[in-house]
Amino acid sequence: MELRYFILRRLLLLIPTVLGLSIFMFILIEAVPKAILVTPYINPHSRIPYIIQEANALKILGFNYPPPIAYLFYLDRLLHGNLGLMSMPGYPNSVAAAIVDAFPNTIQLTIFASLLSIAIAIPLGTYIGARPNSIADQAGRVFSLTGYAIPAFWLALMLQIVFGKNILLGNPLGVLPFSGSFSASAIPNPTPSWFVNGITYPTHLVIFDALIHGDFPLFVDALKHIILPVLTLTYGILAGILRFMRAGMVDASNQEYVKTARSKGVPEKLVIKRHIRKNAMIPTITVMGLLVAGLLGGVVLVEYVFAYPGMGYLTTQGILSYQIWLVIGTTLIFGLILVLTNLIVDVVYALTDPRIRY
Amino acid sequence: MATESNVGGSILKAQPVKHRPRVEDFKSTFKLFIKNRLAFVGFVIVLIYFTITILDYVYPSYLGVKDINTIASWVPQLSSGVPSGPTLSHGWWYIFGETLYFAPIFPVMLAALKTDITYSILIVLTGALIGIILGTMSGYFGKLYDEVLMRVTDIFFSVPTLVLAIAVTVVLGKSLQNVVIALIIIWWPIYARLTRGVSLSIKSNKFIEAATAAGSSGLRNVFVHILPNVLSVVFVQFSLDLGSIIQLFAALDFIGFNEGSPLLPELGNMLTWGTSYLVSGIWWPIVIPGIFLLIFTVAINLMGDGLRDVLDPKLRR
Repeated sequence: MELRYFILRRLLLLIPTVLGLSIFMFILIEAVPKAILVTPYINPHSRIPYIIQEANALKILGFNYPPPIAYLFYLDRLLHGNLGLMSMPGYPNSVAAAIVDAFPNTIQLTIFASLLSIAIAIPLGTYIGARPNSIADQAGRVFSLTGYAIPAFWLALMLQIVFGKNILLGNPLGVLPFSGSFSASAIPNPTPSWFVNGITYPTHLVIFDALIHGDFPLFVDALKHIILPVLTLTYGILAGILRFMRAGMVDASNQEYVKTARSKGVPEKLVIKRHIRKNAMIPTITVMGLLVAGLLGGVVLVEYVFAYPGMGYLTTQGILSYQIWLVIGTTLIFGLILVLTNLIVDVVYALTDPRIRY
Repeated sequence: MATESNVGGSILKAQPVKHRPRVEDFKSTFKLFIKNRLAFVGFVIVLIYFTITILDYVYPSYLGVKDINTIASWVPQLSSGVPSGPTLSHGWWYIFGETLYFAPIFPVMLAALKTDITYSILIVLTGALIGIILGTMSGYFGKLYDEVLMRVTDIFFSVPTLVLAIAVTVVLGKSLQNVVIALIIIWWPIYARLTRGVSLSIKSNKFIEAATAAGSSGLRNVFVHILPNVLSVVFVQFSLDLGSIIQLFAALDFIGFNEGSPLLPELGNMLTWGTSYLVSGIWWPIVIPGIFLLIFTVAINLMGDGLRDVLDPKLRR
C-alpha cells in the first residue's frame, strides 16, 4: 500500500475511536446524579426558583430526552467546543476556557520531557546495547528497573526535598523553586499588558512569552521552575526507552548483515551507527505510544506535586471540588492527545520501516 | 531419556511409579527461577511483605494496638510541637520517627500493607479474571464478538490509565472503595487483549481439533483446553501489574481520593500526611514510607522479570 493511502486509512480509523471515546465519556456523565451535573448551571443569586433553573439546565443539556438523544446533544456541544461549565474560584466558568489556559503548560512539560529522555536514552542505549553484560549494562538495568518501579509522585517529592529552595536547612543543593510556573516576585512591576490574572499571552507559556517580550529575568525564573517537573517526568520514560533500545541493539547485532558488514571491514563505530542502531530504533518507536500514555498519566501527578498550572493540576483541583464537567473534559482531551500521538507514532513507524504498511 | 529409563525400570520391578508431569515441570521451573539471584531476592522480599500483610489479618495486636485501621490508635507518646525524627532511644516503634498526630511511622507503615497489598491483589485478581474469560472466549469464537470486544478495549486504551482511573472514581464518588472498583473497571482490557492473542494462537492446534472431534463443545474447549495454556502468560503479567497497581492505588489516594478515610494507614495517605510538613524541612514522613513502597515495587519487578525469563518457552530451553 502506498504511504499516503496508509495515512488516509489511519486517519479514517481515527473517527470510530474518537466517537467511541465520546460515548464512553457520555456513559460516565450519565452515571452521575443529575443534581450534581446541573450545579454549575444554576445561579444561586438569581431570583428564578431553583426548580425552574434546574429544569432549564436539564433541557439545555438534553437530559429530558432518553440517553441516546442526550448523547447527540452532548456530541453537538463537543463539536461546538463546549465541554460544560464549572464553578471554581480563580478559574473561568467554562471548562473549555480553563483547559485552553492550562493545555500549553502540559504540552510544554511532556514535550520537554520526551525530548530530554530521547536525547539521553538513544546514545546511552546504543552504548549499553553494544556492550551486553558489561558493568555499564548492569548499571543500566538497575537504572531502568528503578525507573519502572519508582512512583512518580514520590520521586517528585524527593526532588523537592533534595533540590527545593529553603526546605532542608543548610542544604547546598537546595537552589530550585518547587511550586508553580513562576515566582510572584519575578513579575515585572508594573504588570505588563501581556500578563493578565497570572496568565501570559500570546502562548500562555511563561518561558516563551517572557522571551517574546524580552523579559529576561522572568524567563530565567520560569526556566528554573520547569527543571524539577521535567526531570521527574523524564526518569519514568527514559527507563522505558532505554530498555527497548538495549534489547533492540542486542537483537540487531546478532543479525547476518552485521556479520557481513564486519567481515567486509566496516569500522566498528560505523557498524554500530549505521547497521545496528538504525534497526534498533524500530522496536523503540513502536513502544513510544505506550510511553506517551504513561507520560500523560505521570504529568497529572507531577503537576499536582509541583502545583504546575497545567491540565493535570486543573483535574486534581476539579477532584477536590467535585467538578464533573471539568474532570470529564480533561479526560477527553488527554484521550484525544493520546489518540493523536498514536497516529503520529504509526506514521513515523511506517516512514522508518518501509516493510510496514497494513 | 531419564524418564524413559525410569518407566522401563518400573515395568521390570512391576511397581507403579507416580509420574506427575505438572509437578516435575513446576520443580524444574522453580530450580531455573532461583538460579537467577536477583529474581530470587525479589521473590523473598515479596514473600516478606505478604507475610506482614497476613500477620496484620491473623494477629493484628503484634503491632501493640487494638485497632490498626486508624492512626488514632498510635496517638501521642512523645509529642513535641513537630513530629520527632528517627531515633533509637524510644524502642522499635520510633526508629523511623513520627508522622501526623505524632503517630510512629514504623508500625503504621507495617499496618499500611494490609490496605495496600489486599486491595492491589483484589484489583489485579478481579481484573484478570474478567479479562481472561472475555479475552479467551473472544480469541476462540472470533467474528462479531471479537470485533466488538476489541473495539471496546481500544476505547479503554485511548485514555491514559491514571486519568481514566480519576474520571471513573470521580463519577462513582470519592472513596477508596470506589478507587478499587474504578481500577477493576479499567484493568480488565489489558488481560482481555493479552489472552485473546494467546487464545488465537492455541486455537489452531491439533489438540483443539481433536477435542472438538471427540464432542467437546465450544465453551468446554475454551475453559478446559485453552484456559490452562493461557495462564502462564497471565501469571507474568499478573506479577508485574501488582507493582503498577500498588503505585496507582497509592497515587490516587495521594491526589485526594482519601476523603472518607484520611486517617487510614495506607502508603499514599502516609505521603499525604508528610506533605503538610514538607516546608518545615521534616523529610522522614515522606522519605521513609516512599522507600518502603519502592522496595516492594522493585522486588516485584525483579520477580516478574525472572518469571518471564523462566516461563517464556522461547527463552527457556
